[in-house]
Amino acid sequence: MDHFSSYHPSVLLVYYVIVLLLTMFTVHPVLLVCSLLGGILFFAATNPLKALGKNLIFYLFLFFLLALTNPIFNHRGETPLFFMNDNPVTLEAILYGAGVSVMLIGIMFWCKCYNQVMTSDKFVYLFGKAIPKLSLVLSMALRFIPVFKSQMKKISQVQKTMGLYTSDSLTDRVIGSIRTLSALLTWCLENSIETADSMKARGYGLKGRTNFSIFCFRMDDGILLAALGAFLCMSGVGYQQNVFEFYYYPSVSPIPTGAGAYLQYSIILVMMLFPSILEIKGRIQWKLLRAKI
Amino acid sequence: MEIIKSEDLSFTYPGQEKRAVDSVSFKILPGEFVVICGESGCGKTTLLKLLKRELSPNGTLEGEIYYMGTRLGELDDRTAACEIGYVMQNPENQVVTDKVWHELAFGLENMGVPTPEIRRRVGEMASFFGIHEWFQKETSQLSGGQKQLLNLASIMVMQPRILILDEPTSQLDPIAAADFINTLHKLNRELGLTILLVEHRLEEVFPIADKVAVMDRGRLLLYDTPRIIGSELKEKYQNHPMLLGLPSPMRIYQQLDARDDCPLTIREGRDFLTRNYQKEGRIQSPEREKPVRHREKEEELAVHLKNIWFRYERALPDILAGVDLRVRKGEIFSILGGNGSGKTTLLSVISGQNKAYRGGIKIFGKKIKEYKSGELYRHNLALLPQNPQTVFLKTSVAEDYKEIGKVMGYGKEELEEDIARIAGQLNIQELLPKHPYDLSGGEQQKAALGKMLLLKPRCLLLDEPTKGIDAYSKAVLRGILDNLRKEGITILLVTHDVEFAAQISDRCSLFFDREVISEDTPVSFFSNNNFYTTAANRMARHMYPYAITCEDVVALCRKYGRKSI
Amino acid sequence: MKKDLLVLGFVILIVAVLLSGTKFQSVEDYYQTHIDDIKEDSETVTLSIRCDTVLEHWEQLSPQLQSDKYIPEDGVILPPTEYVLRPKDTVFDILNRAVRHSKIQMEFQGADDNVYNSVYIKGIHHLYEYSCGPLSGWMYKVNGEFPDYGCSRYKPEDKDVIEFVYTCDLGRDVGGEFEQ
Repeated sequence: MDHFSSYHPSVLLVYYVIVLLLTMFTVHPVLLVCSLLGGILFFAATNPLKALGKNLIFYLFLFFLLALTNPIFNHRGETPLFFMNDNPVTLEAILYGAGVSVMLIGIMFWCKCYNQVMTSDKFVYLFGKAIPKLSLVLSMALRFIPVFKSQMKKISQVQKTMGLYTSDSLTDRVIGSIRTLSALLTWCLENSIETADSMKARGYGLKGRTNFSIFCFRMDDGILLAALGAFLCMSGVGYQQNVFEFYYYPSVSPIPTGAGAYLQYSIILVMMLFPSILEIKGRIQWKLLRAKI
Repeated sequence: MEIIKSEDLSFTYPGQEKRAVDSVSFKILPGEFVVICGESGCGKTTLLKLLKRELSPNGTLEGEIYYMGTRLGELDDRTAACEIGYVMQNPENQVVTDKVWHELAFGLENMGVPTPEIRRRVGEMASFFGIHEWFQKETSQLSGGQKQLLNLASIMVMQPRILILDEPTSQLDPIAAADFINTLHKLNRELGLTILLVEHRLEEVFPIADKVAVMDRGRLLLYDTPRIIGSELKEKYQNHPMLLGLPSPMRIYQQLDARDDCPLTIREGRDFLTRNYQKEGRIQSPEREKPVRHREKEEELAVHLKNIWFRYERALPDILAGVDLRVRKGEIFSILGGNGSGKTTLLSVISGQNKAYRGGIKIFGKKIKEYKSGELYRHNLALLPQNPQTVFLKTSVAEDYKEIGKVMGYGKEELEEDIARIAGQLNIQELLPKHPYDLSGGEQQKAALGKMLLLKPRCLLLDEPTKGIDAYSKAVLRGILDNLRKEGITILLVTHDVEFAAQISDRCSLFFDREVISEDTPVSFFSNNNFYTTAANRMARHMYPYAITCEDVVALCRKYGRKSI
Repeated sequence: MKKDLLVLGFVILIVAVLLSGTKFQSVEDYYQTHIDDIKEDSETVTLSIRCDTVLEHWEQLSPQLQSDKYIPEDGVILPPTEYVLRPKDTVFDILNRAVRHSKIQMEFQGADDNVYNSVYIKGIHHLYEYSCGPLSGWMYKVNGEFPDYGCSRYKPEDKDVIEFVYTCDLGRDVGGEFEQ
């Protein structure tokens, strides 16, 4: 069902690195809009509509806030709209602010999707390749955090029902939470002894430990990786041809046009939309398959 | 050849005079299912740990342990780690990694098994245990029963020849526990796996065990088949506290004079009673006068819930839906119910931790909202949580108690007096200077209860008070609760321990489908239930329908006498 | 929660803008600066703005500025012009009047915003610091000397010649050494 996330973690990582770098190191409006579109669509494909709506409203606000803040602090540009405290508020500065906020919002949407796609086990797996010990430590830590949290909640609730630390004074509450924390630490140490026993009992420390993972590198992963490589080469060519050059100051430079530029734009659009296209395709296929049942 | 053989094994912890394990000799043959029972602190756990080399405690060891004819100390590391599997008590703490599949693979990774082989073995094991449905999940999202099953599976994947389990079901609810025991039985029956199990919950394991070992104060008293153990205990060890933990049919058998084979299961128990004892002549309800079904006046009620609705979040389903509950002053009221049915949530609503979105709660006739901050918890209500460890914040029990004194504003002398009185009442004087985490489960329970009593509550809420404690501690707890009732303290407890509720309660009720239903006295509550009732009642109901505890059955048997043959 | 923070941010921004005594002017208002007519008895100074060094370092110049729209072919942004020197005038005051009169874009950092206690000229005619290499920026000369303090602290005298010059090499290419 969830097609994009079923790719091999290393391929996913490469994809994300390319997308984020491409978004972060450019102010070219076509690229930024492509990236934002890709991010939002992918988010929409993997999340309920309600969450999307909420996020869109929030980021629309953020967009205006950022776009309007920039001209207050930045007075460059040759088209002053009016002067504020003897400083020009320029059209270029507003456009630049808008560009940067599109970039930021695009990155935020990509990061939201990243969290959903690159789950902790994939992350651990990627690092485990490089440093096997670290991957185990990470995995143990990731198990520990939810346990820690739930115990913390339990302890503080129980303390509350004993009438401890419920007073409204802030210092009391701070002291209370420090005590809870120290009790929690004791609890953790106490219980981690058992965890250590359990590890020993299962032969941890024997020579020749291997690392197991449930991910395997398939044909599809290779194809996507190759496609990404080709894409990088193409972008390199585009960079050479100054297709991605863009300026806001002192005046907004014209968007490069021409066959070469359009080709570049369309490749970038396809690449940015790739995950959402996969998701949507998967969904349509599923609908069709289900209709046959 | 025996898989494990111990010869005259003794063990002393450093700095202690008494031997924790005292000249124990036994043999376990391949494919045997052996159960060790005994009170807490009788050395069961120490003995098990000695058998697993990686876990054996520091101390002086005498005697020998052989694994497949080789001294345990001379085994190579790989064999010792892989062929002897060990499952511990607490499901939570044994889990090492964050994902179920990784947990299953952990042992094999340590052994250095290559990835394709791990993939096969893990897949095989997950299918055998029915784990494949939650194979990709995070371990923190599993229930206690699932975690323990995962622990078992992640040992089994290493293909051990003997499995050692230390009270694996003590933290589980009865249904999960029965599932777990069934899985063990399946492993033993279908794979011929040798199993050595320490258990409190003997009802399920006695019938399937090949051998039972009874331990007392470090010594191995008896080691034989369950049926012979039953007869021997009857002859040699009358009134031994260990007997409290036996399955109900065996306990009833112990206290009666009939000479017959010891019954192990309910069915055998029924046959035993039918064979040997007279039926009740004219069946009469033990409640001489029908309880007047009057509606209690408001001032007679300690806790009064009226049409309570609760859910954790707006988008989530209701946990409580129209709960009505009337707990009278000075009674012990039990709410029984399955796991995850919302019993704990109900307590959290009564104790004001969570707020109902609809309905009214009155504690001693006063609305819960009208209690100012903390006032509810002073001299009114105290909640003993499921996990007593969460109660303690300090490095010794005594310091924790003093903390309460500060909150309640007791004077120094008053506080010391109170502590001494409560410590005497609960018989925990020697626990006061100890660190709370060094206590056993039953002791922690008592110490936590002591802390609650320092709040001088008029009403005590208990959440699963019998979880993880042995039969003897349960009997002690029953005594304590009885005394508290005599002092006029109202007790409301939620539990799935049917036997305990039957023995202690004034009234029982069932929590089912988000409501409290069918509240009644224990006698009519349990005798009206066919399935959800005590083992003693199930065993004797064809003869004495109103007998619900072992004591009732024994008393009635004695009253109506033996069948003349 | 997130939304509340955003709204709060908006409100704070607006309030800050309003409270700081903001003065809004249209473009026409801003550039309508009164220049005193030169009379016989008035004290005057001569001001010029030049950027001819950029022409020699064209390859270092930011690409977007590489046009004679921003860099005049002779490098002269403001030819030497005489301005009336009002009492208490600083070099900055004269520059400010001159660029507003000639509608030349200029951005500066106020004296309160930096460590020099003096106004710092960030850019004139869209030519900013660092626009032509990492050592580039605006400097000023009075009678051929580079004063070693900021232009809003220098009070010129009658008949002084003030030159604003753009350097691409910390002043070395315009005949001065930038003070450490």
